Amino acid sequence: MNSTSIKKVAFKTLGCRLNQYETDALVTDFDKAGYQLVGVDESPDVVVVNTCTVTNQSDQKSRTTISQAARANSNAVVVVTGCMANNFKEKLESQDNITFVVENNRKSSILSLVDAHFLGEILHPNQLPQDVFRYEPVQKSLHTRSAVKIQDGCDNFCTFCIIPMVRGRAVSRPVAEVLESVRKTIENGFKEVVITGVNIGRYEDGAARFEDLLAQILEVPGDFRVRISSLEPDGFGDRFVDLFKHPKLMPHLHLCLQSGSDKTLLRMRRMYDVAQFRKTVNLFRSVYPDFNFTTDIIVGFPGETDEEFQDTIDAVKEFNFSHVHTFKYSVRRGTRAERLENHIPEKIKTERSAQIRELSEENKKQYLNSFIGKTQQVLVEKITQGIANGYGQHYVPVRFKAAGVQKNTVYTIRLTEIRGVGENMYLFGELND
Amino acid sequence: MISMIKHDIKIDESFYKVEEIRQLTDETFSLKLPRARFAFKAGQHISLGIHGDYQSREYSIYSGANDENLEVLVKEVENGYFTPKLRKLKVGDLVEIHGPFGKFGMEPHLALSGKFVFIASGTGIAPFRSMVRTYPEIDYTLIHGVRYSNEAYDRHEYASDRYILCSSRDQKGTYNGRLTGYLKNCTFVPETHFYLCGNSDMIFDALEILKDKGFERDQIHCEVYF
Ligand SMILES: Cc1cc2nc3c(=O)[nH]c(=O)nc-3n(C[C@H](O)[C@H](O)[C@H](O)COP(=O)(O)OP(=O)(O)OC[C@H]3O[C@@H](n4cnc5c(N)ncnc54)[C@H](O)[C@@H]3O)c2cc1C
Ligand code: SF4
Repeated sequence: MNSTSIKKVAFKTLGCRLNQYETDALVTDFDKAGYQLVGVDESPDVVVVNTCTVTNQSDQKSRTTISQAARANSNAVVVVTGCMANNFKEKLESQDNITFVVENNRKSSILSLVDAHFLGEILHPNQLPQDVFRYEPVQKSLHTRSAVKIQDGCDNFCTFCIIPMVRGRAVSRPVAEVLESVRKTIENGFKEVVITGVNIGRYEDGAARFEDLLAQILEVPGDFRVRISSLEPDGFGDRFVDLFKHPKLMPHLHLCLQSGSDKTLLRMRRMYDVAQFRKTVNLFRSVYPDFNFTTDIIVGFPGETDEEFQDTIDAVKEFNFSHVHTFKYSVRRGTRAERLENHIPEKIKTERSAQIRELSEENKKQYLNSFIGKTQQVLVEKITQGIANGYGQHYVPVRFKAAGVQKNTVYTIRLTEIRGVGENMYLFGELND
Repeated sequence: MISMIKHDIKIDESFYKVEEIRQLTDETFSLKLPRARFAFKAGQHISLGIHGDYQSREYSIYSGANDENLEVLVKEVENGYFTPKLRKLKVGDLVEIHGPFGKFGMEPHLALSGKFVFIASGTGIAPFRSMVRTYPEIDYTLIHGVRYSNEAYDRHEYASDRYILCSSRDQKGTYNGRLTGYLKNCTFVPETHFYLCGNSDMIFDALEILKDKGFERDQIHCEVYF
């Protein structure tokens, strides 16, 4: 592409970390192909909206984002991809302001589609190869930390979840490909790799399970840290706990509890109980007392009684999650929970959600407090107005004065105080010389 | 706007013609389809769709892994969305199938060495019929909870000393009352593996009883239908 015809591309991403990863991989693709990465308000030639459909709110947000992006860039090629493209495909295809609707499994070929469009070829999205793992290792990203996708899809069919319908069956990326992707990501200068997928605990490539893959990732040479994006509490044993002794593996897990009531869990079709969850948490904390657990909780699931909700409150307190991602249950069309009885009034859901959020903030404060006077190895992600921002090993947010400090570098920081409030609470510290 | 083909799968692979409908009670029937075009493990389920309908539902596979036909057992739910439509299907109609899905079931090599107790409510018996047909030598006891004893679907296929019918609304079961009532008075050897399938209320109650008896949650496997 010569400079006079340099095309500009903008991305808008909604939803989960997997989506973010997939956008990052697309950014790399477009960047390598000579496109210029711009914001949606900088007259892009191509706008890619990577949608989410996990809740009704995310549906609405995705719709609004698509129309805003399309309206502001009426001459641009508008590509809509992500879970909404799977779930509301026909509807989206009938909208004149959208050029292409590309389903999740063809997402990785969006560059080919757009290139073909500019070359005047008529390429239909259904002619694109289907491969959920075709993505190039991330080179240029919207973030400093880079995700490596190891798995896609899920067939657990939790009653509230649309994912099995929109992302399809569970498939795992071969070990050798994952390792290659990790190697390239490190070569591209990333200092932190996040292992990502829809249900990564279900990883299975021949005889290799998730723990086997993780052990091999940790042995890839180089100076980098490894995080695990989010896990279902699928019964982890001593081997998994042991792996966290490796200095590259960060002591944090986002383990999705969803409810603290065994009855609610069964109605959600989640096949573990609170006692099993407790066993996992206690196992980790007996070896690593300051291990960080965060979680997802759904409040107001159909039939959730006051007692069942109280069980969730108790669990959030007991497990000391330093952050709870709280979702008010919202009906997803086509899921099993849509047809369950005893849907909970919005007002009660809002009250319950507020209670969990409040608890989450208290827990976070308590957790951050436990680090005061201690040090963390902080990977600097951004520097604004002389202040460096990043995360410590335990995934605690840290800021410190940035004099002489560089992005994408790890510093030892002595933590001195908590600043900010609520969701924006963070640890402030100073360089430990 | 460029349009796309609706599904990214090969159409012919996921459509099956209904070969036979076996009416088992007024409400319950089985759909016999051609042999599965995929390998599955007894206990797994499929998702079943009807052409032209946006919804699909999951059904445990009712046939054995080596059977001539793929079969599912369906109970028509009053005011249900999907089952009244399934009920209207006729021999020769097409259904769409995806799968197999799920982890419910045992590894084939363990099926012949372990001791199993299967606990089912209503159509929750489906995966157990598949297991028994797939592993004819399996050492099992099947405790089946129903309302009326005519819901003992295909009971003649199970050895009479292995099949315990608990009927709550008539007096014709091995045990008259809910299966949880029967379960409370049972004793099992410590190494038993339990498989529970059916509605979540039954599964919750049965789990509590088994945990009270001292069994570990890890030896109890659950498949919730609703
Ligand atoms: C993994 C899995 C396997 C399943 N296997 C089977 C199977 O082998 N056979 C089978 O009949 N169903 C099975 N189900 C249930 C099935 O998927 C549907 O939910 C059921 O057929 C009702 O669909 P519907 O659209 O008519 O009811 P909906 O309109 O979805 O109404 C659902 C309501 O009906 C009730 N209900 C759901 N299923 C049943 C049932 N089986 N008996 C009585 N009441 C019910 C519940 O109260 C539920 O809230 C399975 C579900 C899962 C998750
Ligand atoms: S485990 Fe449950 S919630 Fe998670 S993706 Fe699978 S179906 Fe959805």
